[in-house]
Amino acid sequence: MHKMLVEKEVQPHRRSGLMTYRPKMAKKLLRKSPSSSNKFNSANMTDDFQLHLDSSDDDAPEEVTFEESKASALRSMKNALETSKREKDLLKEKRRKRQELFQEQKKRRLLPAHILEEIDTAPAKKQKLPGDQAESNHEEASCSWEEGREGSKEGYEKETKKGFKGNIRSLKGNYSVMRVADQSSTNSQQQTAMDFIQARLYGPGSQRTTNNELLSLENKRGPNKSAAMQFVNKKWGTEKKAKAEKLKKQWIQKQKVPSS
Amino acid sequence: MGEFKVHRVRFFDYMPTAIRAMAFNAHTERLALARMDGSVEIFNFTDHYFQEKVIPGKDSRSTESLCWVGGRLFSAGLNGEITEYDLENLRPKYSLEAYGGPIWTIISNTQGTQLAIGCEDGTVKLFEVLEEHIQFERNLDRQKGRIISLSWHPSGTHIAAGMMDMIRVFDVPTGHAVQRLLVDRGFGGSKSQETVVWSVAFLSDHTVVSGDSAGKVQVWDGHTGTLVKTHLVTKWDVLALSVSKDESSVVAGTSEGTVIQFQFIAPTLHQQQDKEWVRTRTFKNHTHDVRALAEIETAIVSGGMDTHLVVRPLLEKFDEKSHASGLRKIHFPHRNLVSCAKKAGLLLFQFPGQLELWRLGDSDGHGENHTHTHTHGLTLTFSSPGSRQPIHLMTTSVDGKWLAAANSDCEIRVYNLQKLKLHCIVPVYGSCPSAMGIHPTTNNMTVVHADQQLFEYSIVEKQYTDWSRKLQKQGLHNVWLDRDTPVTHVTFNPKNPNQVVLHDMHMFCIIDQSLPLPDQKTQFYNQMTLRSLSEQERPSHLHAFKICKTFQDLLCVSLLDDQSLVVVERPLLAITSQLPAPVRQKKFAT
Repeated sequence: MHKMLVEKEVQPHRRSGLMTYRPKMAKKLLRKSPSSSNKFNSANMTDDFQLHLDSSDDDAPEEVTFEESKASALRSMKNALETSKREKDLLKEKRRKRQELFQEQKKRRLLPAHILEEIDTAPAKKQKLPGDQAESNHEEASCSWEEGREGSKEGYEKETKKGFKGNIRSLKGNYSVMRVADQSSTNSQQQTAMDFIQARLYGPGSQRTTNNELLSLENKRGPNKSAAMQFVNKKWGTEKKAKAEKLKKQWIQKQKVPSS
Repeated sequence: MGEFKVHRVRFFDYMPTAIRAMAFNAHTERLALARMDGSVEIFNFTDHYFQEKVIPGKDSRSTESLCWVGGRLFSAGLNGEITEYDLENLRPKYSLEAYGGPIWTIISNTQGTQLAIGCEDGTVKLFEVLEEHIQFERNLDRQKGRIISLSWHPSGTHIAAGMMDMIRVFDVPTGHAVQRLLVDRGFGGSKSQETVVWSVAFLSDHTVVSGDSAGKVQVWDGHTGTLVKTHLVTKWDVLALSVSKDESSVVAGTSEGTVIQFQFIAPTLHQQQDKEWVRTRTFKNHTHDVRALAEIETAIVSGGMDTHLVVRPLLEKFDEKSHASGLRKIHFPHRNLVSCAKKAGLLLFQFPGQLELWRLGDSDGHGENHTHTHTHGLTLTFSSPGSRQPIHLMTTSVDGKWLAAANSDCEIRVYNLQKLKLHCIVPVYGSCPSAMGIHPTTNNMTVVHADQQLFEYSIVEKQYTDWSRKLQKQGLHNVWLDRDTPVTHVTFNPKNPNQVVLHDMHMFCIIDQSLPLPDQKTQFYNQMTLRSLSEQERPSHLHAFKICKTFQDLLCVSLLDDQSLVVVERPLLAITSQLPAPVRQKKFAT
């Protein structure tokens, strides 16, 4: 039991700052073990521990009573239990905070509540109109709103307010509002199929080249021979050209330094 | 023509999407095209290949195949759903989940009663085509590999399915696989890779023609299951096949960008030899993979990763070499993507998912990006009573009084915006209008149609103007009528009320109504000759159509209030540089 406690104490906990590393306690226990083990007749560990102890003292080991060691053992066990409980509590806190953060983010991504309300009530009114009603699970409604980014949200709100000023109710057409981002994106099977086509046409063994080379060959074989596309068209290969410039400057510097 | 300061705009990064599939409807003469971004386009082949309708889409649909059943259009994609399109409201009518995993292909039988789809899980599913929807009928025997391509025998009794390393022939009434045709793998390194049979065609005499990833076009006997002939056409994949209606010709599209024609003819003229499938022509009209192919009566239509649609008329079907027998390439959409605010000097660019607003800069020609807004695309399609076709073109007058709207039925209606009612209907002309503009002062509407005819209609008087009647009586010059891209934008010169500015992809033209009209004998492109003539000689050679071809690949030409010209170009080379990788071809001495 002593040994178990010793190991637990020695590991420093990174997460909770409450747990302190107690080398002294460990050493104390370590020191105590030979005496107590002597008392309990487990002499195996004593030799190993003896080597690690800075026992420059050839004196006799300290006298420790059984009550003392029992008390310290109980104390350390209680501490261990306490620390584990604290850890669990901390983890719970963290999870709760994360959940809250996600909720907040979700709320932020949704349209402001009043707009959603208006949208919900408008189609409800349209139910009374006669004629065919389009199913709202059409993938492309005749009026679909794409989710705006943070920056464009104000502009988006202004637009909706303007739009809802009145004329939109007079439209006879059917429309359903849905966010493109809500539609399920490619599932795994679809992704596998797309990867299959991509691998067959553009994967290894497909012997592909670049558009630059295609156009450069045309330049080379054409009636008016001219340079490769990347040189003719200044906008191409800007990174490569920039890198080449840098290397050239470095080389020139290198040339200058040994000569000077 | 005068001198103009030109704002040459090249920062519109318009990027078209690759063509994935096409289907031709012989009854209505419409071609449906599916692109990689999920959009579907309908071209009217009787009206100078005009792009009639565009149904926008989204990537996740990943359309793989299109199919016409009567007048109804169906598509199937890797998202596992069959979608039927509402061509009057330009949206998908409904989507049916097929529960077979990603769908690779969809075909219909010649009677138009059934649809078959090939799924990733190895099943061929049959659907019954009913009045307003489709209904699942049954599965054919499930196979171990994925079904990449399907072809229905004209009688409707058998279906050939192209899978990995083999082709299976199914008997439709029982659902069992009756034949198995084994396809060889490629040579060398590709022996370890399974051969994908990208495309099959089932002919009435039970011949199966297949195109696979090893670059072979193979002809099989469907009754006995034996290989009749192999043609190795390319080192890369044969991605698409199409059979002509009379089954005498089969065309194959490859990853190299070539389209190869095979014809069922007797190889030599000497004796009464048996006919066989002989490789006849090779067309190289594409730089990247050809993924969609259709052979129609008089032409071969191909499209692929290089995003343009090529119509190659077959010369043997034409008696004489005319405008109709020339090669047609359709690069840009047949509608205007750029709006110009004349007074403020602003340009608005239309992208599939966003709008960009730019301000034109000063003489150094750089434009500042004023606002880069990611707004939604609001599409409202509404049609007036009488016609149910969608409106594809609208224009308003500068004083805000009139609105003209044109629909796919070639009807143009003019509405009075102050009274909010219909003002008049322009007499219907046989061809679809491709561009309209209303004059700022006279309120005369200039309409250009897909067949390059030009009309001017007075809204106030509700009749054609005198100038328009004069033009029609004289007839337009042949060179004007022979142009192969439609006019997409009509605008006017604020300082000179006689001038109309319009452009198509390769030229822009200023029509001066005060000058005489050219007759058939005058030189049409006469700007260069006029420059060389002296001041006295010029007036006698002037005519109304002044054409400039300095700027190419035009998306918009407009005149600002300060008499400067805005030219928005999108060089095709810039588009090619951003396409996916082409195949590496080793040419001699490179």
